[in-house]
Amino acid sequence: MSNLYIWPDMPFLSITVLVVGSMVFLYLARVPMHSALKSLDEGIAGGLTKASSWIKGVVETMREKNKKVLLESSIADCEQKIAQEFRRVEAGYTKHLADYPALHLKLDESIAVIDSDFKECGQVVPEAPGWNDAVQSIASIKGVASGDRVIEKMLKELHKSAVEGEKMALAEMRKTANQRHKILSSLAPTWNKILKSMGEVQKKVALVLETSGKIEKYMSEYESVRHGGEESIDMLSSKATKLFVFALLVIVIAGFGAFINFNLIALPMSELVPAGTRVLGMQVSDISALVIVMLEVVLGIFMMEALGITNIFPQISGMTMGKRRLLLYASLIGLFFLASVEAALAVLREHIAATNAATTQALAGKTATTASGENSNITVIGQATLGFVLPWILAMVAVPLEMLIESSQHVLNKILILIIIMVGHFIGMLGHIMKTVMNIVVHIYDAYIIVPTKIGEMFIKKT
Amino acid sequence: MISRHVYKIICGLFAVMMLSSCSDNRQYETAICALADISGTYAKEKESMVNIIKAGIIPKMVPGDSLFFITIDSSSYDEENLKGKLTLDYRPSQANQQRVAFAELLDEFSSGSTSSKYTDISGAMMLCSGYLKSTMAGTQVMFIFSDMKEELKPGIKRSFSKDEFENMDIAAMNVIKLNEDNTDPQVFRSRIKKWEKRIMKHSGKSWNATLSPTDISDYIDQIR
Repeated sequence: MSNLYIWPDMPFLSITVLVVGSMVFLYLARVPMHSALKSLDEGIAGGLTKASSWIKGVVETMREKNKKVLLESSIADCEQKIAQEFRRVEAGYTKHLADYPALHLKLDESIAVIDSDFKECGQVVPEAPGWNDAVQSIASIKGVASGDRVIEKMLKELHKSAVEGEKMALAEMRKTANQRHKILSSLAPTWNKILKSMGEVQKKVALVLETSGKIEKYMSEYESVRHGGEESIDMLSSKATKLFVFALLVIVIAGFGAFINFNLIALPMSELVPAGTRVLGMQVSDISALVIVMLEVVLGIFMMEALGITNIFPQISGMTMGKRRLLLYASLIGLFFLASVEAALAVLREHIAATNAATTQALAGKTATTASGENSNITVIGQATLGFVLPWILAMVAVPLEMLIESSQHVLNKILILIIIMVGHFIGMLGHIMKTVMNIVVHIYDAYIIVPTKIGEMFIKKT
Repeated sequence: MISRHVYKIICGLFAVMMLSSCSDNRQYETAICALADISGTYAKEKESMVNIIKAGIIPKMVPGDSLFFITIDSSSYDEENLKGKLTLDYRPSQANQQRVAFAELLDEFSSGSTSSKYTDISGAMMLCSGYLKSTMAGTQVMFIFSDMKEELKPGIKRSFSKDEFENMDIAAMNVIKLNEDNTDPQVFRSRIKKWEKRIMKHSGKSWNATLSPTDISDYIDQIR
């Protein structure tokens, strides 16, 4: 500061001269200085305001785009669901209609059996021997009433024959009734068969009705999404966010599972892939273990695709059933192979760990204390089971992975929009602060030159 | 057309990145050198030295690590002083077998009665430095089992080069006190201080003379 003094031995006078000099200079330069400050204000605050409004525009565009993406993805999702249901209906119809002729034949056969049995059951009343007409003819002969003995004898004979005939007819009737009952009782299994067939038909019809109900539900959802109202957008957005959170949670848990899986096979892999080379700071054996874990996830994705649970690769979903089945079997075999390898590696790991412990103890001069055989087996079995089961669990990760990828697009966009909005607000606030600061600077400037300004004004008034 | 070129450039860059990211294990490995004093009164410490190496150093070695076992005698800068060398195989099972074999070699040394009149610590350190450098390991450690009192044979000259102990962590282990140290502890302290100055002057990374056998494990973890 003392360097600025005009007269170093007179600081007060120096400061006074400096202040007065600067006041006069700033008073004389007030117009260009005001313009400069105004330009600076416009440059900074105006620029920031423009940046803020540009950000608002960008946010609007992004929101619109996000909305569009959300709607389109939801439409595609609905279409896929409907198509899937139609495929199910088609498959069902193909299968059930193929079965239908057999079912129809079965029903026809059963009905024919019932018909023939029914016909056989027809009750034929055995006719009494034609003695009535004979009795009537004899009765009309003259002299019957006089008690002709010959006629009486004839009538007695006729009576006897009639009684015998009646007995025989009754016996015959009983026999045929018995046969009819037998036939009728043999009808019961046929009825049951028909009942069973009809039950099957009912089940299949219920399935078709359920599918058509689902299609109807999807269609109404599709209609509402196509309509694209605010409500449906909010509903879709909340659905996507919920899906994202749950999928992320599952993926994180699966990540821990993968970590355990990796640690289970990393040590034994160094026995199988011993190498002194590293890639990105990782040992080749560790990378091999990581590749195995990743392969399990990949095979899981293919398995889920082949099952039609996920739809990540359109080429796979577009395959014929035969090819998809082939892919499914290939994935299953691959997974089984990897799971078996992991189980074997887990056993090897336990062996290596036990040897390491024994060597360390031996080097330390202690007697190697080995676990009892039973305990050791439990550990080995546990590790082998874990090694076999974990790949199958990891294979399931395809479902949440697809959900995460689908929903992340919308959720990440939302987060990005939120960040941009915050930046926009911050820039707007900064612009406002800058404008206020510039105004304050101008006022301070005017206050500093108030004395020469007032003198100037007085001088102008006088003249 | 442009996109195809861009694709090619990206592929090329990726390939270069992958190739450059491939490195050998050396920078991640540890090379350890154990110097065992067999002169004068320290010769009777052979068994405890061997036990410390077996229980503290060998179990801490991981596949790829190296261990040199060198004796300190009257004229230590001699290849014959290298009593054993171990580089652990990357296969854990092989590494264990090597550990056991090296431990047997140490036991054999411990049961021997070799001793020397003079103590050429510097010569052994120079020999050790050469071996450690040859490994090009990322971590290089030198454990000196001695009373740290150097007595050179007449006519022997030992002077370290400026970068003699570059990138090396050096620790004096199991340093026993001599009778004269007991009489005046300052003698012992100044002797240790002198070694520290000498080592740090010749680019030593660190010096430690207060390690107890139970601290070796933590010490190796710390310097790795």
